[in-house]
Amino acid sequence: MKHKTYTEMSEPKRIGRRIFVRKVAVGTGAAMALPYIIPSSAMGRDGKVAPSDRIVMGLIGAGSQGTGDMHNFMSKPEVQMVAACDVDKTHRDAIKAAIDGKYGTSDARTYSDYREFLANEKLDAVILALPDQWHAIIAIACANAKLDIYGEKPLSRTIWEGKKIVEAVEKNGVIWQTGSWQRSEAHFHRACELVINGRIGKVRFVEVGLPNGNPATVSHPVQPVPEGLDWDMWLGPAPSMPYRGVCHWDWRWILDYSGGQLTDWAGHHIDIAHWGLGLERTGPVEVSGSGVFPREGIFDVPVEYSLHATYANGLFMHFANERQLPHGMGVCWYGDNGWIHVDRGNRLFASDPKILEEKIGDNETRLYVSNDHFQNLLDCVRSRKETITPCQVAHRSISTALLGEIAMLTGRKIQWNPDTQEIINDPVASRLLRRPFRSPWKLEGN
Amino acid sequence: MTKKYIKPLILLTLTGVILLATSCKQAPVSQAPYQALIITGQNNHTWQGSSPILKKILENSDLFSVDIIQSPEAKADMSGFKPVFSNYDVVVLDYNGDAWPAETKKAFEEYVSQGGGVVSYHAADNSFREWKEYNKMTGLGGWGNRNETDGPFIHWKDGAFIRDSTTPGIGGYHGAQQAYQVTARDTVHPIMKGLPRIWRHAKDELYSQLRGPAENLTILATAWSDSTKGGSNRNEPVLMTVTYGKGRIFHTVLGHAMGDSAYPSMECVGFIFTLQRGAEWAATGQVTLPVPDDFPQFNTESKWPQFRPLTLDEILANLKDYHPGDTRTNLQDLTNYIRKNYDGGEKYAHVESELLKFLEGTGSIDAKNYICHELSIFGTDKALPALKKLQKKEETKEMARMAIERITTQYTNE
Repeated sequence: MKHKTYTEMSEPKRIGRRIFVRKVAVGTGAAMALPYIIPSSAMGRDGKVAPSDRIVMGLIGAGSQGTGDMHNFMSKPEVQMVAACDVDKTHRDAIKAAIDGKYGTSDARTYSDYREFLANEKLDAVILALPDQWHAIIAIACANAKLDIYGEKPLSRTIWEGKKIVEAVEKNGVIWQTGSWQRSEAHFHRACELVINGRIGKVRFVEVGLPNGNPATVSHPVQPVPEGLDWDMWLGPAPSMPYRGVCHWDWRWILDYSGGQLTDWAGHHIDIAHWGLGLERTGPVEVSGSGVFPREGIFDVPVEYSLHATYANGLFMHFANERQLPHGMGVCWYGDNGWIHVDRGNRLFASDPKILEEKIGDNETRLYVSNDHFQNLLDCVRSRKETITPCQVAHRSISTALLGEIAMLTGRKIQWNPDTQEIINDPVASRLLRRPFRSPWKLEGN
Repeated sequence: MTKKYIKPLILLTLTGVILLATSCKQAPVSQAPYQALIITGQNNHTWQGSSPILKKILENSDLFSVDIIQSPEAKADMSGFKPVFSNYDVVVLDYNGDAWPAETKKAFEEYVSQGGGVVSYHAADNSFREWKEYNKMTGLGGWGNRNETDGPFIHWKDGAFIRDSTTPGIGGYHGAQQAYQVTARDTVHPIMKGLPRIWRHAKDELYSQLRGPAENLTILATAWSDSTKGGSNRNEPVLMTVTYGKGRIFHTVLGHAMGDSAYPSMECVGFIFTLQRGAEWAATGQVTLPVPDDFPQFNTESKWPQFRPLTLDEILANLKDYHPGDTRTNLQDLTNYIRKNYDGGEKYAHVESELLKFLEGTGSIDAKNYICHELSIFGTDKALPALKKLQKKEETKEMARMAIERITTQYTNE
């Protein structure tokens, strides 16, 4: 039998249902008012966590990112990984081996259909690492199943889908952590605290450098679907297309599944730019710009893009692929008294190095601190507090990028109301706030 | 500048035969506001090919009516070569050959210094090393034994132009032909406004280490001359303007044309459009032409094989047999065309009716799929009957349904 079900699981792994406590609390509508505190004494002295205190997790989307995320969670003693779901048998076999290898057991369960996974598994939290066309459908199904979620960025493929995820998460009172892990890196946090506390003066302009597009133009002839891959299920709500060898990883170069590097990285650097400016729960009022789309091959996401967003406070953001920007990758805020540039690899620079020595006082704006992005979710699963990157925040970083995508695809300047989340006076552009799903897929409740 | 309706018209045919007609027209044929004269007839390039293309390019801007004057052939008697420069708003030089008669040179100097416009195209800056005033007009030149006595080398380095008057050496050479990036160095000049900072130019020569008096010279754009392709390892000027008295000169080194086949450099939208704007600026001191949607960008070439944007009929004909994996240029041409003509009114209504005709025609399913996608964004209720018809066929059912869903759904804040 291909997939084991819950009833087949071996007795020692039948984990105590800590989640039960939470569900009762949520059910009374008092979840946020009843902080669920685990005293440190509950942790074993040797760092081990009693099985009854473990957070039981599963994974949907066992490609490279999902596998990496899973290993990060599995390295925490308080996590018990029990099951994974993927439409590709190769992924399923590998992920089962990884889980079983970690625990020295042979009973990790795998599924090819997330609906079966959700019906059979009794989890506390789930990792979602799917191609973007699947994000909303599965995230909402998981939220409705009352699972806490570690969801990969970007939050959604369209703004409408992102709104629906936020609604489902809020309605169900589940905890959401987005894979915007840069927030849990000290130097990004430091850069944002310096900026938000005015250490470069009033910021009027910010540059956000994202990766250059993938210019690959190799031909992709129609070919047999590899054995073990459920291609129709992989496509899901995306338009039907014969298999051309573009699936894992390279899906992000096709607009039906992704917006390319722009949307893939919005949840990193646009998110950081927002964080440093206190704009993480709002959005621009105007977005415009242009992109260059490949002229050969089947990939159709922009290989070059240069976009401009204006916020209600007058702030102007230029977000573009890195080679169009003087500082390249990362975020560079320009204030009246200097600039700060931050990027991966512990890169933090300023117009005057003294700016970076500045202390931030206790009476100033202190940003959320997380030193471990995965631990932050686990802590919040217990405390029922908001994570460092809740879905409401992730929704705003990807919305900015998606408005840029709409501006590129329509060739228009987009006027946006960040409060009502509507495009103003442009029915054509408004159509791109959402995309039609292939039959029979739809969002639960819509 | 006064326009005379009576002027000698020397028309050039592709075979190079000269048709000379002293026309006595009472009114200009063209509604174009400005008159341009292309001077050609001797060149180390295939002027028989390039000059008619230059004429098309200028005429396709709807700004110019264009005459071509062909000089006597090399080593022939030049004494009768006397173009009436003052009849024109801009003189386009596609000439690299024998010296003009003194009287013609003087007339040209007067024409320019009194406010005439000039476009120096490609090898025109190779011409007339001995004619000092001409070299002041082009600013930089090459070949013809030019050396340090002709003026400095100029190149861009570390954020500024280097004017090198000390290094001796010949002026002008080039490495292997290739496609290369052009980088704007002056983004506020009217010719450059709105262009990408960097764009990819189609396969061309890249003139390197030109020398000249370089007076009143503004360098608009440079290109990296790659030593691995035989270049100079310098950022070489490729687009320039010069003022000479009251005259304005636009100098493009781009547009190499040799032989009978197509000239990729001249089909490049970057070449075509900067030439059009450069000619407009030289003629009037202003630029009105808006940047085309398909101007080449960072790493993407863009060509107009007809030296103008394609018509909708041409685009749809190119799209007819589209299958994924084929070039996407035709798809993008269609998208750009729809966008440009989306006025929410008559213009778009015509476009949409042509798209709907296409859906009922014999085009490939993948082409129809693309059109359904475009209609899903731009389509109106008028597209619904044709889409509903497609919905009845298995192979087009889903694409039609998706388009209908988008057209008929209100995406308000539900």
